[in-house]
Amino acid sequence: MAYKPLHLTLVTPEKKLLTDVEVDEVFVPGYRGELNILPGHAPLMTTLSTGLLRYRLKGQSDLKTVVVSWGYAEVNPKGVLILAETAERAEDIDQERALAAWKLATERIDSGELDPETVAKYRRKLERADIRRSIAKGSQTTH
Amino acid sequence: MPSLKDIRNRIDSTKNTQQITKAMKMVSAAKLRRAQQNVVNMRPYAQGLMTVIADVATTQAVDHPLLRRSSEVDERRKKVLLVVITSDRGLCGAFNTNVSKFTERYLRDNASKSEKIDMLMVGRRGADYFRRRGKVAVETILNLAKDISYPLASKISHRVVEMYNAGEYEEVRIIYNEFVSAIQQTVVCETLLPIDVEKSATLNKGTDGFPAELIYEPSPTEIIDALIWKHFDIQMYRCLSESVAAEHGARMTSMENATKNAGEMIRTLTLTYNKARQAAITTELIEITSGAEALKA
Repeated sequence: MAYKPLHLTLVTPEKKLLTDVEVDEVFVPGYRGELNILPGHAPLMTTLSTGLLRYRLKGQSDLKTVVVSWGYAEVNPKGVLILAETAERAEDIDQERALAAWKLATERIDSGELDPETVAKYRRKLERADIRRSIAKGSQTTH
Repeated sequence: MPSLKDIRNRIDSTKNTQQITKAMKMVSAAKLRRAQQNVVNMRPYAQGLMTVIADVATTQAVDHPLLRRSSEVDERRKKVLLVVITSDRGLCGAFNTNVSKFTERYLRDNASKSEKIDMLMVGRRGADYFRRRGKVAVETILNLAKDISYPLASKISHRVVEMYNAGEYEEVRIIYNEFVSAIQQTVVCETLLPIDVEKSATLNKGTDGFPAELIYEPSPTEIIDALIWKHFDIQMYRCLSESVAAEHGARMTSMENATKNAGEMIRTLTLTYNKARQAAITTELIEITSGAEALKA
């Protein structure tokens, strides 16, 4: 192994989800689409979009999934540092809540009586709910 | 000398008060634990965000209206907005008084400089204090919910940035109670805007230098712009959270003291009560025996 292993740290305002966990690879929902970060990646900084953060723990074959929304990721020689506004593990997602949030957001946007700023807020909510729903479905069928 | 009944009434009412203070202490202790968790968990995030902004801004020489380098301090600064955070409710010891006194002293000390200071009050206690003294805040934010929320912090910070961007103020400072431990709070004054990048960037230069050659997606300027808004919201939220945690801590300690004092008071009152009762019994006995003696004779 020519490269030092990657250390992944994931921080949200609520808590530190991961601290210096050794990983083999990380998938990050970057500004321009998904990024696959492997050990020895060049230093990089990007903002995150709402999406799935996936990582493979050292020596393991399955990917762990976390839903993140907004934040940034920094890749430096030591590892990957991710600051996300929200982060939920796939197994923690409550599908009913996600569905309720999705319904509410859709309703609000469709009602058409909101100012642009609020619509933008609900669009973000909708996006998050969408991803949460898809992930919850996925984990039911494939695992 | 108060009558037996008076003393008994006082004991009863003190007991009631003690029960209330005890309950308040318990509630504060529970809330404190949550608030403390909140503060501790947020610190790494807030710090990480600040560090990255500072690092990117210094290495990439990004200019942003909300950023400033400490080397180019403008001496002519005049209009300052002071954000003062207190609580809505009292009964928490010197918590609010400390902030109010600090602010008052701050205003006095800076009155000589040609700074024009306006205040934005968060919390009813501080607002009342200054209203009584005839100093009106430009804006007051009351009715902080039971727990301060991120949307609230975001609302306040947006308002502040709005005023800042409109050129109404050249600097924004914040005064709040920093949570040190459950029994200790310190009043601190921090400069919120403009954000001093150099000070924060040098803080962590010792450990590992920030790589100057980074791939940026999108451009550094856009990253900074996106992050800085978040950062400001987070800072405001952090200050509010610190203040809330400190408030619960202060309330817990002062209620604990109150409970203790009430206990002490009950003890002395009971003593007086018993003494008075004994005295009454003695008097009665003397009366009876002397009556009997008189009959015998």
